Amino acid sequence: MSVVNYGTREITCKIVYYGPGRSGKTTNLQHVYSKLPEERKGKMVSLATETDRTLFFDFLPLDLGTISGFATRFQLYTVPGQVYYAATRKLVLQGVDGVVFVADSQSRQLAENIESLQDLHANLADEGLDPRTIPLVMQYNKRDLPAGEISSIEELDETLNFRGVPHFSGTAISGGGVFETLRSIASMVLSRLSAPATKES
Amino acid sequence: MADSKKGAEDDGGEFADFMADISQEIAQRVESLDAAPKVQPAPRKPTPVAQDSGLILEWENVVDRMIEDIR
Repeated sequence: MSVVNYGTREITCKIVYYGPGRSGKTTNLQHVYSKLPEERKGKMVSLATETDRTLFFDFLPLDLGTISGFATRFQLYTVPGQVYYAATRKLVLQGVDGVVFVADSQSRQLAENIESLQDLHANLADEGLDPRTIPLVMQYNKRDLPAGEISSIEELDETLNFRGVPHFSGTAISGGGVFETLRSIASMVLSRLSAPATKES
Repeated sequence: MADSKKGAEDDGGEFADFMADISQEIAQRVESLDAAPKVQPAPRKPTPVAQDSGLILEWENVVDRMIEDIR
């Protein structure tokens, strides 16, 4: 859980990008990385297969510097979307503070979106996290594809967004909606920041 | 030319806007946490000791003190 640590003057939050394979999770992180000023560019760790699909996970440490006297870090992760990497997804979700669900807007991918969302809920529950209350935003990606190939926002919202969380249209390949999505989940996570329960000076 | 200038502005702009919003959120959050009333520890009860023998009579209080100290 994210905390304001008064002892070390640190705020650290973990955000995981979840969704079916090839929905654009890694592309989101790559866009964020590409927009970072040089002095803040850490190392984006990305393990991909020969066909460019995420093998293990992507990790982008986002060091925001000192804000209000606190060293602030966001850790952005993606999970591999393919069904057979279930164990990795569970591992990456450990200690998560907020989730971005990146859905593939293509009509033929609707079943995969639903399956991935169910998988997310099951894995959160396994981690002892309540899928109904954890900070979550939806990004309906690939909105730049021809209208005949994609589901409408209303249809996606009705099918996937039963919690009524904030949702964003995304064209992650060109950066559309990427920072809006990140800003929204960051805001939700920060609103839940709490002081640590242990004694801190 | 205009496009390249716009591109340069966009490069810094997206992250700068994000930072500005987040900085404000964090400042407000830290401020509200600072302002939240802090729980004061309960005042310590003196450990009752028999006047002459030096024996501790009320072990329950001693255990409470020990747990408090460990915390």
